[in-house]
Amino acid sequence: MVRKITLIVHYIISALLAFILGAPLVLLLFNWVINRKEPSFLPDSGLLFLIGSSLLLSTTVAVIATIVGTSCGFLFYKIKSNGFPTYHNILVIPLLISPYIFAVAWRDALYLLFGQYASIYSIWGVIIVHVIIFFPIVMLITGSALSSIHSTLEEAGVVITSFKKTVLRIILPLIKHSITLSFLLVLIFSLTDFSVPAFFGVRTFTTEIFTQFAAFYNYQQAIEQSIILLLVSCSLILLQFRYLAKSPVFAIGQKGSSSKCHELTKGKKWIHSSIAFLIIVTIIFPVFILIYQSLSGSHSYFIEALVSLKGAIGKSFFLAFCGALLITAVAMFTSYAELRSDIRLPGAMLLFLFVTPSTVLGIAYIYFYNTSATAFVYASPIVIILGYAARFSFIAHKIIGNGLKQIPLSMEESGELVGINTYKRYTKLLIPLLTPSLVTTFLLSFILCLNELGTTIMVYPPGTELMPLKVYTISANAPVALTSTMTLVNLIVILLAILIFYYFGKRIKTRFHYD
Amino acid sequence: MTKVLVENIAYSKEGRDILKNLYATFPSGGVTSILGPTGCGKTTLLRLIAGLEVPHSGQILIDGKLVTQSNKILIPPNKRNLGFVFQDLALWPHFTVYKNIAFGLEERKDKMTRDKVMQMLEEFGITDQAKKFPHELSGGQKQLVAIARSLILNPSILILDEPVSNLDTQLEIKIIEHLKKIQAEKKFTMLWVMHNHKLAIDHCDFVMVINNGKVEEQGTKENVLKTNNQFINQFIHY
Repeated sequence: MVRKITLIVHYIISALLAFILGAPLVLLLFNWVINRKEPSFLPDSGLLFLIGSSLLLSTTVAVIATIVGTSCGFLFYKIKSNGFPTYHNILVIPLLISPYIFAVAWRDALYLLFGQYASIYSIWGVIIVHVIIFFPIVMLITGSALSSIHSTLEEAGVVITSFKKTVLRIILPLIKHSITLSFLLVLIFSLTDFSVPAFFGVRTFTTEIFTQFAAFYNYQQAIEQSIILLLVSCSLILLQFRYLAKSPVFAIGQKGSSSKCHELTKGKKWIHSSIAFLIIVTIIFPVFILIYQSLSGSHSYFIEALVSLKGAIGKSFFLAFCGALLITAVAMFTSYAELRSDIRLPGAMLLFLFVTPSTVLGIAYIYFYNTSATAFVYASPIVIILGYAARFSFIAHKIIGNGLKQIPLSMEESGELVGINTYKRYTKLLIPLLTPSLVTTFLLSFILCLNELGTTIMVYPPGTELMPLKVYTISANAPVALTSTMTLVNLIVILLAILIFYYFGKRIKTRFHYD
Repeated sequence: MTKVLVENIAYSKEGRDILKNLYATFPSGGVTSILGPTGCGKTTLLRLIAGLEVPHSGQILIDGKLVTQSNKILIPPNKRNLGFVFQDLALWPHFTVYKNIAFGLEERKDKMTRDKVMQMLEEFGITDQAKKFPHELSGGQKQLVAIARSLILNPSILILDEPVSNLDTQLEIKIIEHLKKIQAEKKFTMLWVMHNHKLAIDHCDFVMVINNGKVEEQGTKENVLKTNNQFINQFIHY
């Protein structure tokens, strides 16, 4: 009986989730099909050129990020050396910081190097920043896959052939799905990112959608372009759909993993220097540039930045907190429904939302919630929180799902035998057992929500002040030094949040470690 | 004649001493059963001989040649001419049965790869499984593939770490007898660790008993079984 009730609850919540989060996109697609005036499905040549150039840019980013990320993944997950865990943690930071912060820093750097020339607004800036912020994704995914390879698979190779050949013929083929998946994810993220090309003033498909929507009020054109972009990213992810849906992707706190690690003996100096260079380029240099540019302006800029961000910081934290809470709850439910009741719809829907470009998601939400019946959503920050949930719940779903896989069903069954109900199954067993995964999910979601710009800029109700929005809107007219100062303040706030969370996360992880 | 000589080996992991100044000899062309309680260092000893672990002190010689010396692998595992069957079998999931067995020969660019693999498949009665992937095989078939893979390069030493641990008794005996037959034909040195003491002792020539990181007794099966060592008597006849 308890199982039946649990199953019914799962079906009802699944349907509700699909409606609240997924229906806007379905409606957008449906209306596009119904209202199309043009019989041809092919876009015009100008648009084709834009798709082509955007794809070229993203492919370049994906290739470089995959090479750098896989190399780092191999180094940090298969090789032991002093300092490697610290390097790893430092290199993950760009992933947690909003892309626009790096965009502002590198734009300033190129401005300092080349002056007011066109090079600042070239695609090179976008490529540099995208590689910096996206290669940690590859590092984490391939690293996670490498740590799940059992040591004996590698040793069986080493007994027969050299280590180099074992890596090339055994290890790399075993993680080929992860490499392909990382490549595709970076390709999609780069293709669908709005903030970096927007800050660099580079015309890409996403910025074009935003321009059509916000500047020209050409909604039909914006929707048409959104559908094309959505189809491109969905068809790309279809290549790895089965793997993405089933694999852990990001395995946090993997139990029972016994991957082989090697001591770094040869080329120690060279490898450490290369990593140091990477850290300088990805973290130290951008931060230095931001500080330098901020100090180059008047001291009043600091006060101005603090005053104008005062309200935005509090509001950003509040909305990010609500967003993270919702995301954790959604992911807890969807992963449980998928693993224990075999209900796959919510998980598939989250994946669909995850690969949907942020601007497209924004348009879909406006289209769906901008009605008299749903005005309470559209005219309030609820729409922003829903946008956060739609964008990031898939990552959370994967993290919690991986944690749940490590809890044997027998633990719940033994609870069932002593007569606990569905509510107690969650509160007395699952939540305490899943605490490390839940905390990780909440903290990561909080940071991601705090940095989100692409969807927020489309849906934010009038009067809403958030940190990324504030910097973006001011960057068009304010002096460079003021934009840099505001970005620096944002960076400090985010880094402080990461540090606090890291501290608490570690304590909670230790407290709830049951092995 | 001694095939493998282990001298004064010490090895510790995560602060725990696993092997403590261990001496051991393994006669050429014989089958040695390594016995001992759980956690006594049996698997570690096998891995050290294969070159998969590095000892903190001591040395290992194969055919009189120094292969490992304190903290240093002098000859890498793939140059020691040995085969290793892992407890979890370690069949590569992305390779078919044929490819799993052929891998070593292909790496050595052996022109007779196909013939040799087909002959091995036939010898083990798994020719019809050649195109299958490991996950499509039964436990016994997987075991046979792992053994065939370790024998394809004609090793002079075959190391088996719990090779039949997940099989039923009948299949255990069948596989061990098959292995013994091949060993008798090819005369390679065989070292194994098995949880089934009776099976291990019945089919070996020499026995080595390890306890708490040290060798309690080693020698011919008959001599070890006759010993007055209280631990061995309790352990083996338990």
